[in-house]
Amino acid sequence: MPNASSTLAAPERAATAATPTDRSRRRKIATVVALIVAAVVVGIFPAAAPNAYILSAGVVILSYACTATSWNFMGGFTGYISLGHAAWFGLGAYGTGILVRDLGLPSFVAWALAGVVVAIITVPIGIAALRVRGASFVIVSIAFVLILLLVFQGWGSFTGGSNGLVVPRPFPDLMRPVHHQVFFYLFAALLAAMLVLWWAINRSRFGIGLKAIREDEDKAEALGIPTRNYKLVAYIISATFTGLAGGMYALWFGDLDPIFQFSILLGSYMVLMALLGGIRHLLGPLVGAIIVGIGLEVFKLQFGDTQFHLVATGLLLALVVLFMPDGIIPALQAGIKRFGPQSSSIREMTAGELAERNRAAGVSGASVFAGRKAEREGVENEDATTPTEEEKR
Amino acid sequence: MTGSLLLQSLILGVLLGGLYALLAAGLTLYFGVMRVVMIAHAAFLVLAAYLAWFANSRLGIDPLLTLVVTVPLFFGIGVLMQRLLIKRLRPATLTMMSVLLTFAIALFIEGLVGFVWGGTQRRIQLSYSSASIEIFGARIAVVKLIAFGLAALSLLALYLLMKHTRFGQALRATIQHPEAAQLVGIKTEGVAGLGFGLGLATAALGGTALSLDATIYPSLHWHWIGPLMAIIVVGGLGSIPGAAIAALVLGVGQSLLQVPLGTTWAQTIFYVALFVTLMVRPQGFFGGRLAQRF
Repeated sequence: MPNASSTLAAPERAATAATPTDRSRRRKIATVVALIVAAVVVGIFPAAAPNAYILSAGVVILSYACTATSWNFMGGFTGYISLGHAAWFGLGAYGTGILVRDLGLPSFVAWALAGVVVAIITVPIGIAALRVRGASFVIVSIAFVLILLLVFQGWGSFTGGSNGLVVPRPFPDLMRPVHHQVFFYLFAALLAAMLVLWWAINRSRFGIGLKAIREDEDKAEALGIPTRNYKLVAYIISATFTGLAGGMYALWFGDLDPIFQFSILLGSYMVLMALLGGIRHLLGPLVGAIIVGIGLEVFKLQFGDTQFHLVATGLLLALVVLFMPDGIIPALQAGIKRFGPQSSSIREMTAGELAERNRAAGVSGASVFAGRKAEREGVENEDATTPTEEEKR
Repeated sequence: MTGSLLLQSLILGVLLGGLYALLAAGLTLYFGVMRVVMIAHAAFLVLAAYLAWFANSRLGIDPLLTLVVTVPLFFGIGVLMQRLLIKRLRPATLTMMSVLLTFAIALFIEGLVGFVWGGTQRRIQLSYSSASIEIFGARIAVVKLIAFGLAALSLLALYLLMKHTRFGQALRATIQHPEAAQLVGIKTEGVAGLGFGLGLATAALGGTALSLDATIYPSLHWHWIGPLMAIIVVGGLGSIPGAAIAALVLGVGQSLLQVPLGTTWAQTIFYVALFVTLMVRPQGFFGGRLAQRF
């Protein structure tokens, strides 16, 4: 994925190191290799897992990755941090469960329908919540989870209340381990769909508009971006995918309780995972989910049901916010870059060297500054606007 | 609904509203001096309640006496928190990141309380716990009156401090316009730290008042932070009188709705008020210039 340093440095490096086509080809090969490796890992994990517990932990981690990635449609693109996304997770889960229970729909039809219901509910909530920015938005998102928790606990006749809601299993004749295996692949497919959509939005005009909102909403509005509609669409996409992840979880786990579905903790895990990995990166939430998910499972094994995992989650979140607000992926990239070839800044050249390089490239000094050289060499000029904005933070 | 029941709910609502007002004033202080939404406020409230319970049940001290320790302690923690944690955040993303940071602190405290004292429900038993007085047929527990008295006195003290001392003037100036306050010679950094400490001290007072007649458990703070957040948004972020009025109105509303709807549904009044405020007047009903952008 394009990031700040690679595209900006491209014109200078082109003359000294490799040509842009070389670089992009290498990047393409790397992407294909990474995709194949990821597919193989996902493919063999269920077979390689030594026991059903490890397999179920894998399913849990994938469900975390789904929620964190869907959170990132809103948090990553627009910078609106929602601590209450568990609301959509719970609505998707309960929606699926109730549709199966009351209407007797086939499990996956109910699941898809629950996604549609979540999308419809998001519209009025989104219009209300997106009238405010920053801290107020966070408050509203938390309030929404708390209100749903009250409603789902209080309305026992419809939701099962504190007794919970049993969701019929979609494949009643499957053994437990095979059941885990099937859902491992289902979650992986859902995650893949989300990643593809995130990648597509990231490269689109719509995505650039959303990122402009993240950097400076007033300026974005002044430039003619329909900020409210853009934010609303991003919010709906994010909420719907979270709801779908919740519905999938309901079908897998089979037992819902308002305390766990509408928990602030679940919402905070999404934020923690996405921030830890890096909210500006496609794979950031996935990386964060793997780290936090494994950490949580280890904690559960070590300390059992004590409240200690709250302490650990709190500490980790505080450390990430204080010392690594951009996430692990940018930190790693910066670390790797230190060992690679250093990109030379224009100031480090003497005037003579610069003139020589320009002659070799067949351009005059003035046109370099007008940006014509970049165009001639086929560097994506559109992209150059976003990275500079990304660097500001 | 009979007349005496109505009167009783009304009085209970005012008593509850007083506590809400004190705690909302604390939240408003943090927001005023640092533009920080302090999610951990209610967690500190529960922590103070646990300290009062611990002192009473294990050491045999009256919960009200723990104030001598908890108020200065929390004030100190508040000042340190502002100096060591909040100030480290980048100014550009301060509001968002501070929400996450204080949220992390809330989780940390909840986990710690649960770890040290266990997840079971606790309640202080006092010799005067069951005492109550009767006003026109409405029975009001004495401990609720004490809690309200404590909250009202603290609010009055806070008001006098803000309006009639040099420090209060400096604090208000810092809230209104930090740069201008610096120009007239106010050391805004130090004032902000003290303001933060003052906000946390209200949590110590509120927690002690709460411990007198409430059952406490580690995750109780989520039931408090939601209504408190709703109150400061309805009142207008940054306005202490707005927060106090919204607290009283919503506290009475909650108490009145409890009779026909039950406790669970009555709590939704805060969230309904929050969403109505956002649709009708996003800057809050009493908020001024401060509330516009946050």
